[in-house]
Amino acid sequence: MERRNFRAMGTDIELLVDANGAGGALDAAVSEFHRLEALLSRFRDDSELSQLNRERSIEAGPDMLRVIELALAARERTQGRFDPTVHDAVVAAGYDRTFDEVPADGPAVAAPAPAGGGVRVDGYSIELDDGVRIDLGGIAKGYAAERAAEVLAVAGPCLVNAGGDIATRGGSWPVGVETGSETLTLELTGTALATSGRDRRTWRRDGRMLHHLIDPRTGAPADSDVLRITVVAPDAVEAEVAATSLFLAGARGAAAEADAAQLPAVIVDAQGRTTLAGGLE
Amino acid sequence: MAVVTSHTGRLYALALALVAFFLAWAVVAARPWATAAADPRLKVLAAREAQLRHEAHLVNDVVARRWAAYRVALQARRTQIAAAKQQAAQAAATSYAAASAASSSGVRVVMLPPLTITRTS
Repeated sequence: MERRNFRAMGTDIELLVDANGAGGALDAAVSEFHRLEALLSRFRDDSELSQLNRERSIEAGPDMLRVIELALAARERTQGRFDPTVHDAVVAAGYDRTFDEVPADGPAVAAPAPAGGGVRVDGYSIELDDGVRIDLGGIAKGYAAERAAEVLAVAGPCLVNAGGDIATRGGSWPVGVETGSETLTLELTGTALATSGRDRRTWRRDGRMLHHLIDPRTGAPADSDVLRITVVAPDAVEAEVAATSLFLAGARGAAAEADAAQLPAVIVDAQGRTTLAGGLE
Repeated sequence: MAVVTSHTGRLYALALALVAFFLAWAVVAARPWATAAADPRLKVLAAREAQLRHEAHLVNDVVARRWAAYRVALQARRTQIAAAKQQAAQAAATSYAAASAASSSGVRVVMLPPLTITRTS
């Protein structure tokens, strides 16, 4: 088993591969993360995403195009609970620079900016309505985890953990999930997993605790009684979208929806109570 | 005694004498007794031909050497391609195995120590 840890996309990345002599594949997977970060980060002026937000219309590369398409499909599928047009809302909430640079405390933030603006994809062309800007934060990490896993799979069975978004290829992987009081181990076989919550990436403004999970309908940090939710899905992008969407549904709603969709989920509410849903026992 | 007195006869005799004269003239003008002198241009051409034959021989040697080197390189390249194809086939087999594993994909709670931990991203 070979392991590689590094930072990219503002989070800790961990690569595991069940093979010897996988240095080349690990290097390639690391490069893939940095390549995608350079394209999809809203914190880099020279990224393709920043160019789109600045110019409103661009001829996009295949990765950017694919992530935007996935994000728009997720917006449709979740009826707006997941929405890539939350950029201005996240910025208005105070998350206007890399999280390491966001002040832990500060004065009141700007008024919320509801999301939901128009994004059109035509061939390789992406066009935004006036006033619409895109943030691909979570879904970009899921996408990068999947791409890196694809690269790493050449060496052997592998797992990619991109700050909680986990993609696997081959083998069975025991993954720890923090519950209210302990760590639960889920064994993933050919599946992916993502965790969303408000227990990290938080900051305080005018005495109020804020977090990065924006409710696109209000444009403000989601007012949910879920502290943290982990969802298992066929791929990391879908898991990320489902985790964000179920977080907004609230603890009870998330459990009901996970059961209905047979999406295995671990839900931890604000009181630290843990619920297993979606067929997980 | 037969005396040629006829005009017609004289004319024939004159014509015959003229023909004989011009034939003799042509034979003398041709100078069949003189030997043909060697043309210097032929010598130059012969030398040029010999030089070209020599150069062609050298070129053939160079081509033969390069062809031999090319065949060695070709063989090495074919070996590389065969190795790459084998590697690709193994990768495809790995992907197929991964896809097969995915078809029986799932998740379950286990009592094993985790290899990694998922946290809020």
